[in-house]
Amino acid sequence: MNPTNLSALTNAKPPSAALRRLTLAWFAIMFLLFPILVLLGLVMRAGQSNWLHKLSPEYFYAVMTLHGLGMVGLWFVAAMAVLSYVLKRYVSVSLWASRLAMALTVLGVGLLIACTLVGKFGAGWYFLYPLPLHPGGAWPAWSIGAFFAAIGVLGVGWLVWVLDLMRAVSRRYSLTASLGWHYLRGRTEPEVPPVVIITTVTLIAMVAALISAVIVLVLFLMEWLKPGFTNDALLMKNLTFFFGHLLVNLTLYLGVAVLYELMPAYCGRPWKTTRYVALAWNAVLLLVILAFMHHLYMDFVQLHAFQVIGQISSYLTSVPAAVVTILGLLALVYGAKVRWTLASLLLFLGVVGWVIGGIGAVIDSTIVANLRYHNTLWVPAHFHTYYLMGVVLMLMGAVFHVCQELAPMPENPGRTRLTIVLLCLGGYGFLMTFYYAGAHSVPRRYSSYPELLSKGVTAAQVSTFFIVLFLAGLVLYLWETGKRWRKAWLLP
Amino acid sequence: MLQENLFYLFLILAGLAVAVFIYVGLSTRRPRTLEYAAVNHLRKRLFLWFTGILVLFLALTLPLMPYPNAEQRPDRVIHVDAKQFAFLISANPITPDEASGEEPVDQPTLNTGELIEFRVTSLDVTHGFGIYDADGNLLAQTQAMPGYVNRLRYRFTQPGTYSVLCMEFCGMAHQVMRGSLKVVAADTNKAKP
Amino acid sequence: MAAALWLVVAGGMVRAQPAPVAPDLLRPPDENRYVDRAVPDVLLLRPAEPSVRLSNLWDQRPVLFTFVFTRCAGICSPLLHSLKAATAKVGGAGTDYQVVVASFDARDGPATMAAMAHDLGLEKAPGWTFAALSTEDVQRLAPTIGFWYRWDETSQQFDHPAMVVAMDHGRTARLLVGGEVSPVRLQEVMDQLHGKLVSIYPLPGKVAFRCFEYNADGRLRLHWGILLMLLPSLAAGALTVLIFQRRGRRD
Repeated sequence: MNPTNLSALTNAKPPSAALRRLTLAWFAIMFLLFPILVLLGLVMRAGQSNWLHKLSPEYFYAVMTLHGLGMVGLWFVAAMAVLSYVLKRYVSVSLWASRLAMALTVLGVGLLIACTLVGKFGAGWYFLYPLPLHPGGAWPAWSIGAFFAAIGVLGVGWLVWVLDLMRAVSRRYSLTASLGWHYLRGRTEPEVPPVVIITTVTLIAMVAALISAVIVLVLFLMEWLKPGFTNDALLMKNLTFFFGHLLVNLTLYLGVAVLYELMPAYCGRPWKTTRYVALAWNAVLLLVILAFMHHLYMDFVQLHAFQVIGQISSYLTSVPAAVVTILGLLALVYGAKVRWTLASLLLFLGVVGWVIGGIGAVIDSTIVANLRYHNTLWVPAHFHTYYLMGVVLMLMGAVFHVCQELAPMPENPGRTRLTIVLLCLGGYGFLMTFYYAGAHSVPRRYSSYPELLSKGVTAAQVSTFFIVLFLAGLVLYLWETGKRWRKAWLLP
Repeated sequence: MLQENLFYLFLILAGLAVAVFIYVGLSTRRPRTLEYAAVNHLRKRLFLWFTGILVLFLALTLPLMPYPNAEQRPDRVIHVDAKQFAFLISANPITPDEASGEEPVDQPTLNTGELIEFRVTSLDVTHGFGIYDADGNLLAQTQAMPGYVNRLRYRFTQPGTYSVLCMEFCGMAHQVMRGSLKVVAADTNKAKP
Repeated sequence: MAAALWLVVAGGMVRAQPAPVAPDLLRPPDENRYVDRAVPDVLLLRPAEPSVRLSNLWDQRPVLFTFVFTRCAGICSPLLHSLKAATAKVGGAGTDYQVVVASFDARDGPATMAAMAHDLGLEKAPGWTFAALSTEDVQRLAPTIGFWYRWDETSQQFDHPAMVVAMDHGRTARLLVGGEVSPVRLQEVMDQLHGKLVSIYPLPGKVAFRCFEYNADGRLRLHWGILLMLLPSLAAGALTVLIFQRRGRRD
């Protein structure tokens, strides 16, 4: 079977009932958690608007921690679930690792909810050392233990899943083939679809990210449990941002892998691996591992060489993205007879978000600019753009696509348009308030703003309106996708 | 201010990107065949231009890194210890008694025109040392990390009272952690300690 | 004759007044307290050479200054020997910096300082100056660098801290407190005096793993922490190769 034959795409072998149910179960988790996590975000912005006087700072920061880790984790597992489903066309995906990951994810999320909403653990989603161990009176010792347990449980489950997916790819393709190295030499046989190459690159880096998280966790536990053991703050920070930066960027790439795979059918054109695609994604593997250094620009004790490497690699990461993926997508769509559905619209719009977030990111990754932007709301502005209007839209589109494929139903174009308008208007309006506030030096992670930063309050107030719009769009999306989900679930 | 100008740059570039995507999206109303050769040609040009612009900005911005320059000597050294939830700012290194709060810390008065080196550290968790002017603009910042001293060099050009805000999330009173710096015009405060 | 001797001794005792003690009474000064302090420009009374102001020296190159007294039976001699050895190891005395050994004891003068230099084999050493100071100058200079001295009746000696002060352009740059000057710390001081900035500026303290440590010869030495940074990528690569090596045949 030629994987890039278009008729083969539409006549793809249906999934086994087990894979279908498992994938739909992951989707159900997404449908449940995403609105709740958005509501937690709304609570935060409402608190910063001075509208929730009962919200204490401790709870604000606990909610912030749950929202952050929840969203990062949610979209990682959603991306893995969609990707596993989509890859079945090429490789034999096993189910046990996905089931294990699901069980451990549910357990981890439960622990997380307990330690944050009950224990008021509020050290932030990447729990920067040594804050978890210095609650300053805000959270009890058991919540620290529960948090570390949650991280451990999630990390183990996800690492196993990632390794198993890599194993599935390795059953069909050799390492050099799955990295597309033969394309670099000008050969096109064996034919390896882009989704496999991007998946391989992403999974390798993901293993590094998760191992780094394990090291951070172990070092934290040693300090917590062994008196006299003190960690080096700079080393911990480097390890933390290595795993944090990689985890979120790689989630984005998993979404992009799905984009490469799904978009061609809607455009009636192929998107094959070429020398450029292979070159771009191999370059990404190297650059994404180095770019994490841009999180330490304001640590003046970091070696200058690392700071320079950070800026150079951050800048250069945008080259393969722009020149290969984004140009490739635009060429795929330009003048094509595109079947615009909720799925293809969301996939397409997700790329716009990636580009805009990338512009904000490259600006912030300039060291002299970072001096003014670091840890202001500019930072959440750009990473929420990457997520909310980037990979989240892509994955929402992909999830709808899968549900529609399993249980086709006619689409209402008017409702689709309304959904898109609400999601984008709400999303971008919300984001613009972040960019505006960041450009006016409002710091991030403030549960409330002093008089000096009154623009922060105004921005927060405006943002709540846009979040509500987004939620309205989300409800419409969940309604449409949910109908198909339910029909697919009830299939024999 | 730099941060506002960059915001406008961002809006312009984002607007351009959106325009391109709208154009491409609308092009699907009139389907036509795609010339792959033209796309490859465009890709090559885009690669050269894009990389060229990035390299240009690297060359322009990397020399502006705010890290202390070995050739420059500061006129004044100010010591900053951050802790949950206050900034201890002194012209002298801060003693353990001052750190624990048993002794008050002398708050120095700074002069305009002086190159000040802030030696910033933390007594507990990682904080951030952010200097804000009276209009709420962030002028410069550095991290305050336990076990390390970050040296931030800054020259004040205007007299006034500047606020110090915490720029790294540090716990439940992170948002109210404040310090201040008093800067006077150079003539009024000639005597050095 | 006995009366004359008595007069000399009594006179010596009278002139050796206790110094105005620094706030940290009778303790070695805290190195951190005396950084960046203005140093008064005192007159150095040198043997066999005209007197010179301290500023004439520090304007040309940084000065390593230490207070001793020639009748010292305690720490001064080990301190000076160690300073001599350290400067020999680090090199650059006379070219990159100069050393001033001054006495705080009013009984010392240029002649006794010359004798001290001779005993140490440093009388002709480039960059080394042995000098006496007037009592007023001693009392002006000592507090600014955290130096104090106290006469101890029992031992008939001065009790005082052992320290070397790095001075540059009229201000203290670093204090090295202790009877032994290690070449490592001297090199650090030299680097600092020459404006060489090392971005790593860790506070002393015991931590489990660091990435880098600043070493005596001015280079950064890798520490175990760097291995922890590289481990994730290396492990990921190794696991990848392992997984792909065990793959089955393609279907």
